[in-house]
Amino acid sequence: MNHIRNFCIIAHIDHGKSTLADRLLERTGRITAREMTNNQILDDNPLEQERGITIKLHAIQMEYRRPPASGGGGPFILNLIDTPGHVDFSYEVSRSLAACEGALLVVDATQGVEAQTIANLYLAIEAGLEIIPVINKIDLPSAATTLPGVKQQVIDLIGCKEEEMILASAKAGIGIDEILEAIVERIPSPRGVGDAPLRALIFDSLFDSYRGVIAYVRVLDGELREGQKIKFMHSGREFYVEECGMLHMDRVKAPSIPCGSVGYFTASIKDVKDTKVGDTVTTAKDGATEPIPGFREVKPMVFAGIYPADSDDYESLREALGKLSLNDSAILYEPETSTALGFGFRCGFLGMLHMEIVQERLEREFDQTLVTTIPNVEYLVTKTNGEKITVDNPADLPTPGVIETIEEPYIKAQIICPSEYIGAITKLCIERRGVYRNTTYISSTRVDITFEIPLAEVIFDFYDKLKSVSRGYASLDYELIGLREGDLVKIDILLNSDPVDALSMIIHRSKAYAYGRKLCTKLRELIPRQMFEIAVQAAIGAKVIARDTIKALRKDVIAKCYGGDISRKRKLLEKQKEGKKRMKQVGAVEIPQEAFLAVLSMED
Amino acid sequence: MLEREIELRADALQADGVEPVAYRTLFLGGGTPSLLSPDEIGRILQALRSRFLLAADAEITMECNPGALDPGWLRGYRELGVNRLSFGVQSFHDDDLRFLSRIHTAREARSGIALAREHFENVSLDLIFALPNQTRERWRASLDEGVRLGTDHISAYALVFEEGTKLNTLRLAGSVQPVNDGLEADMYCETMETLALHGFHQYEVSNYARPGRECRHNVGYWERHTYIAFGPSAHAFLRTHSRSIRWANVSNLNAYLDALDAGRLPVASSEIVTPGLALEEIVFLGLRSGGIIIDEFRAVAGADLAQIAARRVAWLLEGRYATLDPDRLRLTRRGYPFADRFALELIADLEAALPELMASGTGPQNITLPVLKNA
Repeated sequence: MNHIRNFCIIAHIDHGKSTLADRLLERTGRITAREMTNNQILDDNPLEQERGITIKLHAIQMEYRRPPASGGGGPFILNLIDTPGHVDFSYEVSRSLAACEGALLVVDATQGVEAQTIANLYLAIEAGLEIIPVINKIDLPSAATTLPGVKQQVIDLIGCKEEEMILASAKAGIGIDEILEAIVERIPSPRGVGDAPLRALIFDSLFDSYRGVIAYVRVLDGELREGQKIKFMHSGREFYVEECGMLHMDRVKAPSIPCGSVGYFTASIKDVKDTKVGDTVTTAKDGATEPIPGFREVKPMVFAGIYPADSDDYESLREALGKLSLNDSAILYEPETSTALGFGFRCGFLGMLHMEIVQERLEREFDQTLVTTIPNVEYLVTKTNGEKITVDNPADLPTPGVIETIEEPYIKAQIICPSEYIGAITKLCIERRGVYRNTTYISSTRVDITFEIPLAEVIFDFYDKLKSVSRGYASLDYELIGLREGDLVKIDILLNSDPVDALSMIIHRSKAYAYGRKLCTKLRELIPRQMFEIAVQAAIGAKVIARDTIKALRKDVIAKCYGGDISRKRKLLEKQKEGKKRMKQVGAVEIPQEAFLAVLSMED
Repeated sequence: MLEREIELRADALQADGVEPVAYRTLFLGGGTPSLLSPDEIGRILQALRSRFLLAADAEITMECNPGALDPGWLRGYRELGVNRLSFGVQSFHDDDLRFLSRIHTAREARSGIALAREHFENVSLDLIFALPNQTRERWRASLDEGVRLGTDHISAYALVFEEGTKLNTLRLAGSVQPVNDGLEADMYCETMETLALHGFHQYEVSNYARPGRECRHNVGYWERHTYIAFGPSAHAFLRTHSRSIRWANVSNLNAYLDALDAGRLPVASSEIVTPGLALEEIVFLGLRSGGIIIDEFRAVAGADLAQIAARRVAWLLEGRYATLDPDRLRLTRRGYPFADRFALELIADLEAALPELMASGTGPQNITLPVLKNA
């Protein structure tokens, strides 16, 4: 155990985490320079590479021999545990941190510290991790001017000494040896009890169609062995370990994962929901009595309806969601029906990014064409008879007459930005019904602003707006702080008096009128003219608050039939046919799919 | 070279065992055939007549540019058997003609048509409406003038911004502003009404004729008769009791010439019209023109249109968009503006009612047919 070091890297997007990881793998001989392609090793999902973010966690083991000048010795086993870099996944981050004893804090020498970094750093400090500050990209020309300021920021943040910071350039290979030395020198070795009952922390899992679930674990006490009968302490499920081993570039089979180390195991587990991140693995017989603290059931925060574009594809969508959820235990889904969209699923996501990822994976990996409804949060409704219900679909909101109160989730938003944007950001937060809490200067030019904002107000385009009002400089982190009562109403959209359930939305009363007007106008633009006039109305209960009209279509014919070229006309028709197939119908009105996400493309 | 293609095609049809028939119409068009002298046109007709049977009362149309007409040439065409002229006038307003980059003026159009009428009884005009900046009054004036000139046939097309055209590029760039769709619809309705008042009978979305003066050649396209075509980009349709095939020649002139030089037919693509595709054609072509021919529909579908799409047909009749008689389901003046929409809806009904038959349209296309490529 003395030769094991478990660590992770805390960094903001683009601050060089993946490049640094690649460099460490290369320097320890885990990969050769030749094996390194343009793709960085840790992000192996194409979507991750495209977005430059890491979504799922991975881990990798290296062997490091210290140079004779440092006294030689080893080999040391270095386990690098990757962490996702987005607020949607902060619980997963906390579990990854719990599997480590130390963290590299990587800060871009030209950018300084960002909100996401700070949030994860605090999590790491709370978890008692040894922090090694690394200032990356020092070879960039502009770093010469920004470096002293960034150093000061880091000193203020973690109270370290200047000489404890490592100046590096992952790209140029500067500082890599110092980092490896610091990992061995400064990060403590694991402090588990080898002959105690097994306690292993699950920090990630994935589904393999041949072997079932592959769980990634950190063994805190005892030892995890092949053939062992194990038990998941939270789910209570029991399995036999079929195979276990270490995580090199590939999985390498071993008879056991020793105390303090990181590895994987399979146990003919059919469902990733049995291997929840944060759960504790122990032995079925004479197991540990106390699970590793910090486990939480992952709760979705954002909900939306996902429907097949072509209603014939419902079964295929169900299958795709089933397969997707094998690998993504965070997604929740259950069947629902909509008068406008037919059969589909109400899905719960960790956040907007998670929702986008799920949508994109369904479309790319499973070849689905989807219609997604306006996302919403989950509300707690207290009825006049005292009954409390949760509502994750606006269509399910009871009529106003029986509602006593509606409570909505709030978040604490931590925004870090250069001080000149305080005004613009404050204005944005207040528009989003934010309540100001405080401002802290983290350096003479950078501030940390805290607001409490209803989650519903940040799920659409808050992040994009934040970036635009701060010219890209502001960064955001948030955490859920509970439910608060709000003056909320449901807006229904009616087309020729028929309600379109998939367009209903729960919104604060103060915003209802403007929203209703804008949505009606947007729908007028998006819904093509039909054989009759269409009244587009927004209503709260029985009260119409906005109205627009789509005039009747007067002409739908191409003047010319291209002489004898009948095939051309037929192909044109074929194309129109495809478009028509994707229309949804409410009453007699045909609605194109874009209309269901109209709200997302509305300008303020 | 056209003569060469005529030879090769005739050989190929013969080799393929296609029964010779008497062709009822001939259309010399695409580009400006009136640039060819009567001698040159004569050679083409000679080549055709030597290999294809042309009915004694065949309609022989020639497309003409209304500017720079030579009376001697007109007489020459007439003597060769050409009996119908079609003029691409487009407008009797010079601003419109400039916008369309036409080389003739309104004045030339007037005198050209008057001259043509001295030699030809059967003269047709093409006119275009919904041009940018064209007012209702200006369109009405063009239309009235077309009628006044004593023609018996008018094709009145709404301007189409087609993908890939220069005009569409200008529209996308914002330098050309299409008229709003309300105005376009008004112009269209007015066209239908005006021409009806003057005794023109509408027999297609954009075509109007005095009784008996319908363009038989175009009707042949829409009623899916066989037509053989020659020249670059020419499209043909061969329908025999056993199969239906459409094919198109290469559009590039050099490729066209090279193929013929090498003794090959210059065919670029061909497709078999399966029963599913045939039904689509019957529906959309029929609705655009003289109506869906009930018997033809039944022969392909194996069932009656009025039964398969009972609700849709009833709706069309109730809305006075169409009329149904024993022969045809025909759109009314109220229905023509929506011909494409109704076609799509009817086809959707057919797909629901006859899924297997309609799916036959999605089989492999562009099948190589040796007979069509090479003699």
